[in-house]
Amino acid sequence: MTKRSLWRLIFTTLICGACAYFFVPLSKVRLGLDLKGGVHFELEVQGHEALEADLRDTRDRLLDRLHEKGFPEAVAHLEGMTVKAEGVPADRQAEAQKILNGFSGYDAAFSGDTLTLSQKAGYQKSLKDDANKRAQQIIENRINQFGVAEPEITPTGAEGNRIVVELPGVGDAERERIKGLLTTPGRLEQRLVAKQDTTNGIGWRTREEAMGHFAGHLPPGTELLPLPLSEREARREGKAFQAPAAGQPDPIRSWVLVEEKVYVDGADITKADPTVNSQTDQYEISYVLNKKGADDFYNLSGIASEENRRIAVVLDRKVVSVLWCKEKIPGGAVRITGQFSKEEADDFALKLKSGAMRASMKFLEERAMGPSLGADSIASGVRGALIGFLTVIGFMVFYYRWSGVNAVVALTVNIIVMLGLMGSFHAVITLPGIAGFALTVGMAVDANILIFERIREELGNGKSVAGAIQTGFDRVFWTIVDSHVTQLVSAILLFIFGTGPVKGFAVTLTVGVTASLFTSIYISRFIYDWILERHPGTRTLSI
Amino acid sequence: MKYSKVALILSWGVILACLLWIHPWKGADAHVKLGMQFTGGIDMMVAFKGNVHQEDVRNALYAGGVQQAAVVAYQDKPGVAMFSIKVKARKGQDEKDSTSQIKQITDALKSLDAKAASDHRLDLNTESVGAIVDTWMKANPLGVQGDETALRLAYEPWVDKVIKAREKASPMSDYNQLPSDLPGSLRASLEKDYRLGNLTILKNESFSPSISGEWTWKTLSAVGWALVAILVYVLFRFTLSFSVGGIVALIHDVLMALGLFVLFGFEFSVPVVASFLILIGYSMADTIVVFDRIRENSHKPEYRRVDIVKLVDDSINQTLSRTILTSMSVLFVAVCLFVWGGHALRDLAFPLVVGVITGTYSSIFIASPVVVFLDHQFGGKEKLKQHA
Repeated sequence: MTKRSLWRLIFTTLICGACAYFFVPLSKVRLGLDLKGGVHFELEVQGHEALEADLRDTRDRLLDRLHEKGFPEAVAHLEGMTVKAEGVPADRQAEAQKILNGFSGYDAAFSGDTLTLSQKAGYQKSLKDDANKRAQQIIENRINQFGVAEPEITPTGAEGNRIVVELPGVGDAERERIKGLLTTPGRLEQRLVAKQDTTNGIGWRTREEAMGHFAGHLPPGTELLPLPLSEREARREGKAFQAPAAGQPDPIRSWVLVEEKVYVDGADITKADPTVNSQTDQYEISYVLNKKGADDFYNLSGIASEENRRIAVVLDRKVVSVLWCKEKIPGGAVRITGQFSKEEADDFALKLKSGAMRASMKFLEERAMGPSLGADSIASGVRGALIGFLTVIGFMVFYYRWSGVNAVVALTVNIIVMLGLMGSFHAVITLPGIAGFALTVGMAVDANILIFERIREELGNGKSVAGAIQTGFDRVFWTIVDSHVTQLVSAILLFIFGTGPVKGFAVTLTVGVTASLFTSIYISRFIYDWILERHPGTRTLSI
Repeated sequence: MKYSKVALILSWGVILACLLWIHPWKGADAHVKLGMQFTGGIDMMVAFKGNVHQEDVRNALYAGGVQQAAVVAYQDKPGVAMFSIKVKARKGQDEKDSTSQIKQITDALKSLDAKAASDHRLDLNTESVGAIVDTWMKANPLGVQGDETALRLAYEPWVDKVIKAREKASPMSDYNQLPSDLPGSLRASLEKDYRLGNLTILKNESFSPSISGEWTWKTLSAVGWALVAILVYVLFRFTLSFSVGGIVALIHDVLMALGLFVLFGFEFSVPVVASFLILIGYSMADTIVVFDRIRENSHKPEYRRVDIVKLVDDSINQTLSRTILTSMSVLFVAVCLFVWGGHALRDLAFPLVVGVITGTYSSIFIASPVVVFLDHQFGGKEKLKQHA
């Protein structure tokens, strides 16, 4: 063996060894959801909700500041995407201007005694970005606590407002619950039941009844929020509980009039757990607030106990429970009693613990794949690919004899390199991926056929064996490069535009085309050269 | 070149006929079957053990209030009937509707389970891991001491085993199919609390209509960009007339595969579009083999004075065997995938089977005549030599 051949052999062996490292044992190969079974979600963060939430927050803050700084008559409300504060006389604009320092993301405009605040474009973008980031973090938290092995959570979309969640091994049955966990923001607020609520927090039976009571106009600074009827409660009251069809709004027990002002925000929760009340044997949620939250809650309980009013616990704009408060409560440890089932309590606590999203999510796409379908697909896909592969090998050996064997060796190296490259990219094998695998094998043979046909042609022109091999490879080199590049172009475009199974397909193709370039040009040539070395001056070539 | 006119008329005629039949300009009424990913809607795959017919499923769905469902039956394994159920989304529908629709469909399907009416136990074939763990943690048939975590640790491995057995049997028809090393008390608990239903939900997908338009756009732009990128590459490696010839051949192949794909009643899905993109890449690769030889021959002294028609004709003849052979190897694979790859791969393999055949044919009969024609018009043969 010459030095050159030896080096080539070492190089080839090294490459094959390195590639084998990535897929031996076979359990290292990652299967896509369509083969393994699992749940796939694509969600979109509703960024405008984050903007609206910020507007509401700004309205409350602005009003507080105005009252503090000598505008006791000021009232503020939302109008479209702006906050309008009335009761700021034109001659006191300079004073009001000072307050506005705290609202840097807003443009302010005065007209008459009205101050209008609107969000700056840059501020809106940062709010949305923040909502996206936070949504992803929270999904991660919630999924992790739900206990799914190897979840994949990846942001996509041009604006980064899409999130793809892939949960292998999760069945159709768990899908609904996870969906519920992902879609609801989990925003907890504690507010006061409005003074004008004559029902004392029990609420009106329908929205119309409540609106009728106030003659169509709710008192300023208040809003009507629904209090859903829970399953347990319905059972306790002996009513037939009609579980809402999944996705339908929950049945509503009553409508409660609450103040718009949020006293305690869920963002200040540090710990939340479902607990069982030892006396009533019912599920409750206990949570602990941080310093700021504890102070806020101390204030809130102060007002409630002095004015003999009730506190409304609001989760995602629904009243969860209405509490009496007899005294000021320091320390920030809060317990919500309600009519929860175990699952409700678990999920409630989980949402509080993981924090609130700035905006809710919309489901664009959801798929649940049973594992047995995947197993069937693998079986038939692999069967089809294998039969195809064997036919090609059979054809090559039959048509090109020993040169065909050369091609088969090159093909084997090709497959090893492909698997290795895919493993090193942590690529996932999907069903179209299996098809792509088989097809690239077919295309890899193409390159060999081109070379062999050329060699045959050169032999026919009267060239020696060595000369024919030399010119054959040289002449075909650019043809092979050109044809591979065009394929690579479409493979790469597939990768850019595709998701999920298609991406898997694209990766297989890209990798396959690259591997085929290497094996057809390098490995096949190496085998010929090596054989020529051992049989110098041979006059015939089995081709 | 002799047959090029006949070929040109014939193949474009076939394409035109296909397009006329599909009439894509009629929008929603076109003969095109689009997957749910494009239209938005629900795509489910279910399996029934025993004798359930397509009509039964359709009637059950109709009775359950799902009128717009398209039901297709498959028979993969003896004794198991598989159905694909598709429901298109209405305009302006949001994800809440789809969730309730899915529930409606599953409820309708469950009503086909004759035993379910008399047997109210949970169905072991459709219950989740969590539900079974919960059953055991409550009943605690093994008498495990300790708190919830200890219980969970004790029962979860067994549930996994049961689920694995269920996947293998898919669906289970006999309690004997439970893992043989399952402790007797656990087995007894399952036999007491669970029945073995005959319905399995294999796949359950739903796509929001709001994302569907985006998918169509994304897909079309992928195809468009692929064409442009290839055009530019060939322009860079050859000349404009080759580039145009190649693209015309490409469009021919794609249209032909598209026409036949629709004609044979296959349905577009995202993987199918992927296979069309592969077809684009492959068909061009095939054309390049011929182009390459034309370019090589144009340098040879014996072709210096001859007409471009002879140059192209000879080049085609010289490469004929390899063009056909290379196509054969890919065709073998594509046909094997089509025949044995299962119905999931069938849709994907079909455009490739057509595409590989037309790709070979178009390299010879479409691309080359276009090159000759353009060459006559603009005199590109001399340019070609400078280029290579």
